[in-house]
Amino acid sequence: MPAIRPSSKRKPPPDGFSDIEEDLLIFANKMKDAQNTPTDNIPKHQAQWPIFQIAHQRSRYIYELYYEKEAISKQLYDWLLKNGYADAMLIAKWKKQGYEKLCCLRCIQTKETNFNSTCVCRVPRAQMKGEDREVQCVSCGCRGCASTD
Amino acid sequence: MSLKSTYQAAPLPPGWTEHKAPTGHMYYYNAETKESTYKRPLATAPPAPANPSSSYWQHQAVPQINLSDPNVANQFMAQYAQPRQQQQQQQQQQHGGRGGGFQPRPKPQPVDKPKSKVAIPGCDPWILVYTKYGRRFAYNPVKNASYWRIPEKLMPAILELDKERIRLKAEGKVPGQQEQAEKPDDATPTTQPAERDTHEHQQEEPTHDYDSSEYEEVEVTDDEDEPDEDGTSRKRQRTKDPSPGPSGPVEFTEADIAAQLAAMGAEYGDEDYDDEHDNHYPDDDAEMHDAWEEHYDPGDAGIPLSDSDARELFKDLLNDFNINPYSGWDKLIEEGKIFDDPRYTVLPTTKARKEVWEEWSKQKIQTLKELRAKEASTQEKKDPRVPYLALLQDKATPKLYWPEFKKKYKKEDAMKDLKLSDKEREKLYREHVARLKMPQAALKSDLKKLLESVPLAQLNSSCSARDLPLQVLADVRYISLDPKVRDPFIEAYIGGLAPPPQPQAGEGLEDDEAAKKAREERQKREKALQDRERAVAEEKRRQEKKLQFERARLKGEERELERAMQVDKKGLQSQLMLDRVGSEKEKEKEQD
Repeated sequence: MPAIRPSSKRKPPPDGFSDIEEDLLIFANKMKDAQNTPTDNIPKHQAQWPIFQIAHQRSRYIYELYYEKEAISKQLYDWLLKNGYADAMLIAKWKKQGYEKLCCLRCIQTKETNFNSTCVCRVPRAQMKGEDREVQCVSCGCRGCASTD
Repeated sequence: MSLKSTYQAAPLPPGWTEHKAPTGHMYYYNAETKESTYKRPLATAPPAPANPSSSYWQHQAVPQINLSDPNVANQFMAQYAQPRQQQQQQQQQQHGGRGGGFQPRPKPQPVDKPKSKVAIPGCDPWILVYTKYGRRFAYNPVKNASYWRIPEKLMPAILELDKERIRLKAEGKVPGQQEQAEKPDDATPTTQPAERDTHEHQQEEPTHDYDSSEYEEVEVTDDEDEPDEDGTSRKRQRTKDPSPGPSGPVEFTEADIAAQLAAMGAEYGDEDYDDEHDNHYPDDDAEMHDAWEEHYDPGDAGIPLSDSDARELFKDLLNDFNINPYSGWDKLIEEGKIFDDPRYTVLPTTKARKEVWEEWSKQKIQTLKELRAKEASTQEKKDPRVPYLALLQDKATPKLYWPEFKKKYKKEDAMKDLKLSDKEREKLYREHVARLKMPQAALKSDLKKLLESVPLAQLNSSCSARDLPLQVLADVRYISLDPKVRDPFIEAYIGGLAPPPQPQAGEGLEDDEAAKKAREERQKREKALQDRERAVAEEKRRQEKKLQFERARLKGEERELERAMQVDKKGLQSQLMLDRVGSEKEKEKEQD
């Protein structure tokens, strides 16, 4: 395992990092808070929802900066992915048709479910049966992330 | 009775002079009595009939109520006599229509002007003159006499004229002169002049100011045979009619009207109310409706913001709040700073706002990028060494080794800057500390060498010792000399330099112009927003007024119902009378 370098000896981040540093710090703080909140009195499956949600938001933030606003350079984008600011696998899914709003990777992992199906949040709202349309998925608390929603 | 706001104003009595107030109103001044008034003083009685109530009866072509019944006749007398008496008592009273509950106040005199004239066929030399405010009078150029009340002998001819015009209008081809004559027509038709009157006054207050009595003389002319469904279109023309009039000296504000309506609403509870308003409701009401609908006409509602303007306004909002273009939409919404700004609502949906926000942030980031590229190209980019060297000059001493220095000052911004690597910092520190031990003369000569190495374009006689080029500031040789010695030395050196080579002019000017243009456009947009806000406020007020009116009407109806339930001492006769009135009302409703 390579030695972890102290911050003073690390390479500085690519240009443009200072523009988004503040927002990333906010996300980092949110994440820390989410990680540190006690999960005693919430259902077990909901314990990780906020973590998933913040990770999704942060990934989305960087994805939009790079692909939609074109605000950051390729180097910075790569550096952000490498340093764990965004989920590269999730962003890779967002680039595919039908997955533009995907909430998390667990929700499309069919092999982990009983009936080999995707999560309920992947079902378009128009096709939902029954009165109970306001469902939150088990894995990340998503209320629906179909592209048509 | 005076005819105040007429075109052919009667001559002033001796001693009176006419003046124009700074506000544009006309007023009259008597130099002898030192008296001034807004009302035109009159010496002689106008040609109008002496007995107004009789004139009313003369001209009501289709009397709907059996006048032989003393009760009914009394009601009508009360209706007309009352405002009249009041006006005779106090000259200023403007609208006596509903029991005369209004405060007298001096009002500006609008200038009514003749707008068009039509020769009355078969009645040479009489002509019918239409005024700007939609009234009309008969004029005899030979005798030089004019009458608001259409003389009896002209009536049939004028009726013919009106019929002709209506026919033409129905066919859709309106000759030029008659087109103009159309507007006045709406002032005329009445079957219930009293109700009509009060209503007219509400409508026309913004510009008109005449006594209800004289007004009704103007009104009651003819046209009873006009089909009623014309009412709406006529109404439409009328409500718009006064507004473009450029001469209305003072705007009768909406608030005033609202106040009057409120007063009227209160009056509905009064005792005399019943006497005045019993049998005219449906008609009045329908007309009111027309008027209100007219008010809601989109053209009336103010200047609509164009889509692009709205977008620009929203962008201005984002600019003003110094929104970080790199931040996400969620953050913007979470913070909620911009919600309170009125510009937030120029876009109807959040979706539209998000779209504009995306566009804006893209643009903003682009411009920021360009700006940075420009800065980098002009070498004005901040060198991380400059603040670090400033720190060194301040704090570095030969007494501290580099690790000690680093530990002591690790909280300083210059020490935390990621742009400058630790190695470089150490190198600069060591060099600087080593140079501190050197003699002054050597340091001076080093500094001179440094200054000489800078090209003349960057360092010349126009430079000040404060803003030296980066090349100098980011060099260790610059800081190794004590500022007290260094600054005079540099100043002396600069003083001996040649002036700068001719720079290219013109860029700054262009920038200025662009900024000016942007500012102007922004002002324009903001003005549009203000206009819109004003229109919205007005709309609100109108709605309130409408509510008030409806409430008053409801109250009146309730009262009427109550009355209908009661059988009074006169017994059958009055009951029959009421029934008759009721059936008439229904008829009117059907007509409407």
